[in-house]
Amino acid sequence: MRFAFDEDQRLFADALRKMLAEQCTASQVRAVWDDGVGHDPALWARLAEMGVIGMLLPETDGGLGGSMVDAVLLFRELGRAIVPGPVIESMAIAGPVLAGSKWAAGIASGELVATAELDGTGHVPHASVAHVVLTPEGLLDLAGAEIDDAGGIDGGRRLGIVRGGGLVDHDGRSTADAVDLDAARDRAAVATAAYLIGASEAMIDMAGEYARQRHQFGKPIGSFQAVKHLLADALLKVEFAKAPTYRAAWSVATGAADVARDVSMAKALANEAAHATSRAAMQVHGAIGYTWEADLQLWMKKVWALERAYGTTSWHRRRVSSAVLSS
Amino acid sequence: MDLTATPEQETFRAEARNWLEANVPAEPLPSFDTAEGFALHRDWERRLSDGRWSAVSWPEEYGGRGADYLSWLIFEEEYFRAGAPGRVNQNGIFLLGPTIMEVGTAEQKARFLPTMASSEIVWAQAWSEPDAGSDMASIRSTATRDGDHWVLDGQKIWASRAVWADWCFGIFRSDPDSERHRGLTFILCPLDAPGVTVRPIRQLDGDTGFAEIFFDGVRVPVENTLGDEGRGWYVAMATAGFERGVSLRSPARFTEAAARLIELWRTHADPADLALADAVTDVWMQAEGYRLHTYQTVTAMLDGTPIGSESSLNKIFWSEMDVRLHELALDILGPEAERMHGPHERWVDGFLFSLSGPIYAGTNEVQRNIIADRVLALPKGV
Ligand SMILES: Cc1cc2nc3c(=O)[nH]c(=O)nc-3n(C[C@H](O)[C@H](O)[C@H](O)COP(=O)(O)OP(=O)(O)OC[C@H]3O[C@@H](n4cnc5c(N)ncnc54)[C@H](O)[C@@H]3O)c2cc1C
Repeated sequence: MRFAFDEDQRLFADALRKMLAEQCTASQVRAVWDDGVGHDPALWARLAEMGVIGMLLPETDGGLGGSMVDAVLLFRELGRAIVPGPVIESMAIAGPVLAGSKWAAGIASGELVATAELDGTGHVPHASVAHVVLTPEGLLDLAGAEIDDAGGIDGGRRLGIVRGGGLVDHDGRSTADAVDLDAARDRAAVATAAYLIGASEAMIDMAGEYARQRHQFGKPIGSFQAVKHLLADALLKVEFAKAPTYRAAWSVATGAADVARDVSMAKALANEAAHATSRAAMQVHGAIGYTWEADLQLWMKKVWALERAYGTTSWHRRRVSSAVLSS
Repeated sequence: MDLTATPEQETFRAEARNWLEANVPAEPLPSFDTAEGFALHRDWERRLSDGRWSAVSWPEEYGGRGADYLSWLIFEEEYFRAGAPGRVNQNGIFLLGPTIMEVGTAEQKARFLPTMASSEIVWAQAWSEPDAGSDMASIRSTATRDGDHWVLDGQKIWASRAVWADWCFGIFRSDPDSERHRGLTFILCPLDAPGVTVRPIRQLDGDTGFAEIFFDGVRVPVENTLGDEGRGWYVAMATAGFERGVSLRSPARFTEAAARLIELWRTHADPADLALADAVTDVWMQAEGYRLHTYQTVTAMLDGTPIGSESSLNKIFWSEMDVRLHELALDILGPEAERMHGPHERWVDGFLFSLSGPIYAGTNEVQRNIIADRVLALPKGV
């Protein structure tokens, strides 16, 4: 029994955090929003070079051959910096599904950007920046496809409506038959849970910073108990979503019997924590929090997009419920 | 990361399970907040200690097993699984004992620890006063030096189990000119000493689970001082880490209660009531989350990371979960829950007791202040 990450895992996460603090600042994320692309190719190349994008791909594909336990802290760091582009879709969904295929090496090296659409929405996240989309029907090659912007709330996660594009099947079968889509969804849910935790930690930091700076009634607003307790409650939710998320990563990595329950518990708790944190952080900011100008909006919108992607809170809670209440 | 138990841990678990299966009383004991129940709980503690299970994380020389924190968690899981009695000497074994091990003299360890492990002496915690609740630093009870004795005067209140306990550990103002956290001394005092009056207080459930303690010129030898004179506040905080952060309420207590709640849901609830099913699921997730969180904290502690303000997060989390868990049990029982002494007495009792969780051991508002100040580094308030 050892519920901790090993040194390599922690050092890798620290290195990623450091890199992102320099190369994925709020103003860089904002620039990605403003240019309408929702993706930063230079950052993507850097992530691929570090091995982040290929963490879950086998070494034979140029990946690092890591497990979800190796990847989960990386997702948390990607979330802290709200890294734009299809990191979750490439790393956790399409990558592992396409392992061993002719696409895999390109994904690991960062030259081929893969995204995925598993929620059955009719729009594809990150379609305009990707080369291929994994869908339940098959892998869609986007060369020659027409993509209309579907107007997503998160400018770092552009939604596209795809017309055309060639379906590349898996040995004559649909993806749904050829691969374990449930496992892909579970990986997406754990990755998203960790990403949401990182984003929440960043929002708490921002709100704390603001509460130290902003004065009203001659005092920093952070000295008011109502403000303190808002943030303490947000922190409580975030802290208690972490261990379930790490355990879910472990269950995915080891193929534990309760993997569905564990994954859903993580996503449900991370969703709730991130949502509550976005509310608290905005409240602490006052009217500034309601502006386009304040960076907080970039994080909040990421949360609002991802808390409903790969399973809403109530969907995941129902899944936990059927696992624990059925005798 | 490896979330499976080692063979040694499995062996330890099996040993604990076997012993508990053979020894836990078949019928639940009456509440330890009654004279009869208190005596029976003391007998149970003696039995636990004869099997060397009363203080598993203590060193062997004082009656423990020198078990690490992970083993302690495993023991707790087995303890609650077996439905074993509540721990009447918990303030001694889990709070005072570790404090004595940390700051006590060799004589104090030899004198107090073995009788604590066996519950020959049951301890009450005498910290709160009528005017020193959340604001504990405003303690006014005094300890005045007279030769090689302290003379204690003043009033303590809310001391759990003090009605039938043998000794208390209190904090007294020993420097009359001091203020706040300074000038306090941590003193151990027998409750049958001349000048001590214990006045029982009935709790919400009607039993006298705590008491006021009046000190009127009570003489205790200075050897009963724990830690340095004037450093009582810091002695009290010395074990604030593991003891208050984790061992006060081990996760097993809640995972076991959540399992019973699910059983109650299966036998009593309408499965079509999805709102209720979801609420039960939420509380199961909280109990499971607390368990996972604790395993993570304990692993970090074994790696040498001291537990800090974690304890405040834990305190809020388990106490609010416990209220929620019991509220739900009563909701499942519906109008049957009105019966205080019916077949579901344990849930009603548990509900009443759960309501004190957000108050004792530092109210949850105070814990939120601590988190805001120490973890979030927000500016000090009033
Ligand atoms: C079942 C039970 C068992 C107990 N056992 C023991 C025991 O064995 N030994 C012992 O010494 N004590 C014991 N206590 C006492 C317990 O520690 C105190 O009740 C607790 O510290 C709160 O003090 P108080 O009751 O005086 O409430 P107060 O401090 O008067 O608080 C009243 C309300 O005001 C709020 N409040 C106070 N200060 C602040 C602040 N700064 N910011 C925000 N809100 C604030 C509180 O959160 C609370 O909601 C026990 C209490 C209970 C209920």
